[in-house]
Amino acid sequence: MQRDLLEQQLSRKELQDLRNKRTGLLIFQISWIMVFVCLVVVNWQLRFSSASWPPPGVEKLPMLLPSIATGLLLVSALLARWATQAIKENRTDPFLTQWRIAIGLGAAFVVIMAFEWITLPYSKTYSDVFRTMTGFHIIHALAIGAFMINVYQGARAGKYGQTNFWPVEGATSLWYFVVVAWILFYVVLYWI
Amino acid sequence: MNSGKSQPTSNTTVLWIIGAFLALIIGGVIIAQATPLLFPPQGSAESRQIDDLFKFMLAIGGAIFLLVQGALVYSVIRFRAKPGDTSDGANIHGNATLELVWTAIPAVIVLVLTVYSYQVWVSTREAKSNEQTVYGRGARFVWSFSYDVPASAVPSDVELDKLPQNIQDAITNNSSFPITSRELHTFVGQPIKMVLDTADTLHAFWIPAMRIKQDLIAGRTTEIRFTPIQAGEFPVVCAELCGGGHGDMRAKIIVHADETEYLTWFNDQVNAVVYPPDDPVLRGQQVLASGQYPCAGCHTLTSMSWTGITGPNLNGVGDRAATVRSAATGETPEEYIHRSLYHPTEYLVPGFGPLMPQFQPEAGLPNFMPVDDNKAIVAYLCTQTSTGESACDLSNLDAIIAAAG
Amino acid sequence: MASITAPLGQAQTTAPGLKVSDFFRWSVDHKIIGIQYMATAIFFFIVGGALAMLIRWELLTPNLDLMQNGEQYNTLFSIHATVMIFLWIIPMFAGFGNYLVPLMLGAKDMAFPWLNAFAFWLIPPAGILLLLGWFVGPAQAGWTSYPPLSTLYSGDGQTLWAMSLHLLGISSILGAINFIVTIKNMRPEGMGYWQMPLFVWAILATSIIVVLATPFLAGALTLLILDRVAGTSFFNPANGGDALLWQNVFWFYSHPAVYIMVLPGMGIISEILSIHARKPIFGYRAIALSSMAIALVGFTVWAHHMFTSLTPELRIPFMVTSMIIAVPTGIKVFSWLGTLWGGKIRFTSAMLFGLGFLSMFVIGGISGVMLGSVPVDIHLHDTYFVVSHLHFVLYGGSVFAIFGGIYHWFPKMFGRRLNERLGKLHFALTYLGFFFTFFPQHIAGLQGMPRRVAVYAPEFQQINMIISIASFVLGIATFVLIYNIIVTLIAGKRVGANPWRALTLEWATSSPPPAYNFVGDPVPFEDPYGYGTEESVAYLDALEKRFPPPVDAEGTLTRAPQSGD
Repeated sequence: MQRDLLEQQLSRKELQDLRNKRTGLLIFQISWIMVFVCLVVVNWQLRFSSASWPPPGVEKLPMLLPSIATGLLLVSALLARWATQAIKENRTDPFLTQWRIAIGLGAAFVVIMAFEWITLPYSKTYSDVFRTMTGFHIIHALAIGAFMINVYQGARAGKYGQTNFWPVEGATSLWYFVVVAWILFYVVLYWI
Repeated sequence: MNSGKSQPTSNTTVLWIIGAFLALIIGGVIIAQATPLLFPPQGSAESRQIDDLFKFMLAIGGAIFLLVQGALVYSVIRFRAKPGDTSDGANIHGNATLELVWTAIPAVIVLVLTVYSYQVWVSTREAKSNEQTVYGRGARFVWSFSYDVPASAVPSDVELDKLPQNIQDAITNNSSFPITSRELHTFVGQPIKMVLDTADTLHAFWIPAMRIKQDLIAGRTTEIRFTPIQAGEFPVVCAELCGGGHGDMRAKIIVHADETEYLTWFNDQVNAVVYPPDDPVLRGQQVLASGQYPCAGCHTLTSMSWTGITGPNLNGVGDRAATVRSAATGETPEEYIHRSLYHPTEYLVPGFGPLMPQFQPEAGLPNFMPVDDNKAIVAYLCTQTSTGESACDLSNLDAIIAAAG
Repeated sequence: MASITAPLGQAQTTAPGLKVSDFFRWSVDHKIIGIQYMATAIFFFIVGGALAMLIRWELLTPNLDLMQNGEQYNTLFSIHATVMIFLWIIPMFAGFGNYLVPLMLGAKDMAFPWLNAFAFWLIPPAGILLLLGWFVGPAQAGWTSYPPLSTLYSGDGQTLWAMSLHLLGISSILGAINFIVTIKNMRPEGMGYWQMPLFVWAILATSIIVVLATPFLAGALTLLILDRVAGTSFFNPANGGDALLWQNVFWFYSHPAVYIMVLPGMGIISEILSIHARKPIFGYRAIALSSMAIALVGFTVWAHHMFTSLTPELRIPFMVTSMIIAVPTGIKVFSWLGTLWGGKIRFTSAMLFGLGFLSMFVIGGISGVMLGSVPVDIHLHDTYFVVSHLHFVLYGGSVFAIFGGIYHWFPKMFGRRLNERLGKLHFALTYLGFFFTFFPQHIAGLQGMPRRVAVYAPEFQQINMIISIASFVLGIATFVLIYNIIVTLIAGKRVGANPWRALTLEWATSSPPPAYNFVGDPVPFEDPYGYGTEESVAYLDALEKRFPPPVDAEGTLTRAPQSGD
């Protein structure tokens, strides 16, 4: 039903633009996740060419805080999803609340993982690969988080609604990307 | 749009096709006869198998080459547009049978090549029952080869205290010790297993005549096998970019005609090591010539036939040690040369960078160089003067080393 | 809605006469961006070619003469290859794609015009960054940059090299996203995937490879930079790292990269052979599907570049996949031969390079299969046999296709035809110079000459002299083309919309096209390769009426050239 509404309200060019942006963002994400896959492959190659993992004498990565952070991140993704649905139905206030909390939870995730990044003792390639993977991920979380803040400000100024929502949808889609990439890293770093 | 159906093929067409196929196969086989001209001599048992495999591939490749070039030449002659003809060619989009054939035939060809290659691979890799292990080491930019000498091969009249510590230990424990040479020696019919390692970057051990190549990888050892079948000398070439001296990094493999000839060489090497000369200068010359240390890769020293250019030229180093280097470092010439080996970046000769490996006096550390070897090398280099007389006071060096403890 | 029968309105041509300065400015018009890509790429082709000339001059003798030491020589081939791959072939094909894909799809521009411009403008700074390495100890570990040589034994230019490639990789990915979305979403009515020109198929397959593989290059480069500047040890075994890690990650990108570098060229060849032999492409679907097959299987072969370093047990599977990929490639070559067979071949410069492509690329394909056999590769890896193979496929293949594409589409881009006599001279010098430069290198490699060496055993001098002299001829040949381009741009013979009487949509508008390419939504001819039918002749005649050429058969101007001609 939303698609029919859209087709009535948007011009042919605007529909074509929206379609292009959706496809483009999807292809970008399929491409960019490959860098994260690459880092996973790097992790595995180092692991399998080492006698044991962690190497002898090195402590396994602490799991409690990162697991909490992961939970927070998942909740933030859910909130971002609800917020996006709200703005597409022109319900700006629920959008602002949920979006704000999502950003806050994302910030909490970044703070926790930054703490892990700083406090892990050096242990040659074991810590090198941890820092590279989580550091790379944190950079993405910060960049997309900044984009989400920008979207928040735009929504506060009344820019987004039923016929103008692409930045919100795009930001949410990118936030899902951050979450999916993190799930991949989380499983590889802490569980397997 | 026309369908892909062609006209029914007539007998003449079939004959032409068969004739063309035969011509291609014959042409490919003729081209493949060039194979011996393309390769170095067949130095190993493996080279026969590999050359035959290549010849087979060249025959097929030659036939395909003739097919494609022939079709091109035929097309440009037969199907050129006559001047003024602006009409189109036939509206043919394809031919299912033809496309199937030219998919199936290449698929069969690559299947055959895969299976044949696999067979050659398995056969050239398998361990031989009487193979001899030789150690090869690559260091920028020189090769060295080491052989294990069992303690039982050492004559009983050697003077133990004149020998390096590791040889003394090997004799007491009845194990083995290595001797090193800058050339790889073996004899006809002796299967060899090379165990390879690198002192620094990647290198690759390649003997073109034997058709074998194996990379030397930092942090691990690698292996390759071959069995020489022809006596003679063949080049050993580095085949992995390792820096500025990569092209210079060449050695020789000397395949003796039989085991007796080889053992003559081998025993001479062992004797040189277990009966070391008393004169430290001669001992130094022996250590340097053995290739235990990669000096030849970077230095020029005409008396040793070294031609490296990455590091300073060592001709006349004795004179320079006594004059300009002594002045620059405040060290006596023997001290200067001694310290350059253990602390190479302490003083850099102007115009050169910090590229020399650091040798270490303690066993177990990388680039281990026992103090006795160091002293012998110093003794020899001190004689690299315009007169040939030593520029150093070696007893002074003994005192310095004793004082350092 | 068909533009072919719609009356010509005055409002159609909104393209001003383009000035040279337009191409130095930011523009979101895909045609300008396309030409910017191509001009930049040709500039770097000359830079890379100059480095090749220095390499061949040095190799005239077995000893060091031109270069003072081995490191200087190592820089020559490292930068030569890096420039040729990342600043010549890949951007040149991006330029062709950018210019042609919207036109072939009857679209007004690419899906993301701004992103298109941004992707291009990453290239000049990346090129400068690479060349700046000269001042801080340039990259000298080969374009393959294996550690430990590239991490522990190289100057800061190596870091600049890695950063430059990061930028170029991002540019490549952004361009590929644009192509995929444009091809997927902006095809006109009547053009399903099976009605697209094969050049568009080629760009689609290439773009899929780019988006999936290039991120691995980004990963590898990031680790290299970290090892060099941040004290990590990914590639340093002393601290738990693994030198082979680089090789695996690097080649996982760099093998698909060679298909990035050849598939668009194959697309060009499909267009040229069909149009200049005036015959439908033989086996359209087979060629389209084989491009996709090559793209897919290309991800499974990477370790055939590592047959002498990879764990021995793993080598055979990669031999199998490498042999498999020969089959779709063979299908294309035979389909192209089938296209020529029974055609009406015109020996235009474009067709000559198309024929040259077929002739030379097949040699590269044969030597590639030889290298795919593990026992044979053990002897041939890292020798001049490999150098020969790669140049047969990249020069004899891709560059010949680029040259053919230049002669073929120059009239569309600039409304003028390149001089045919100079074109034939360029072809003759290139074909002969190329063959005698690279064919003997097979022999040098077989006989024992390794690659990447400034000094070699004296027995190789004779063959190296032949190679070097032929290479100087090849170098000179390029300037025939440059000269041709310059004089044609200044005073070349003018042509109309469709000088080759071709059926694809880029020819259904003026030369050069106006700002938004077409009036209204063009309707593609039912078969982009439908030569030899009455319908196609009628369609082409109608096009000629719609866009009359400004010159008659003798080359006399029959009317003043209109802006947009």
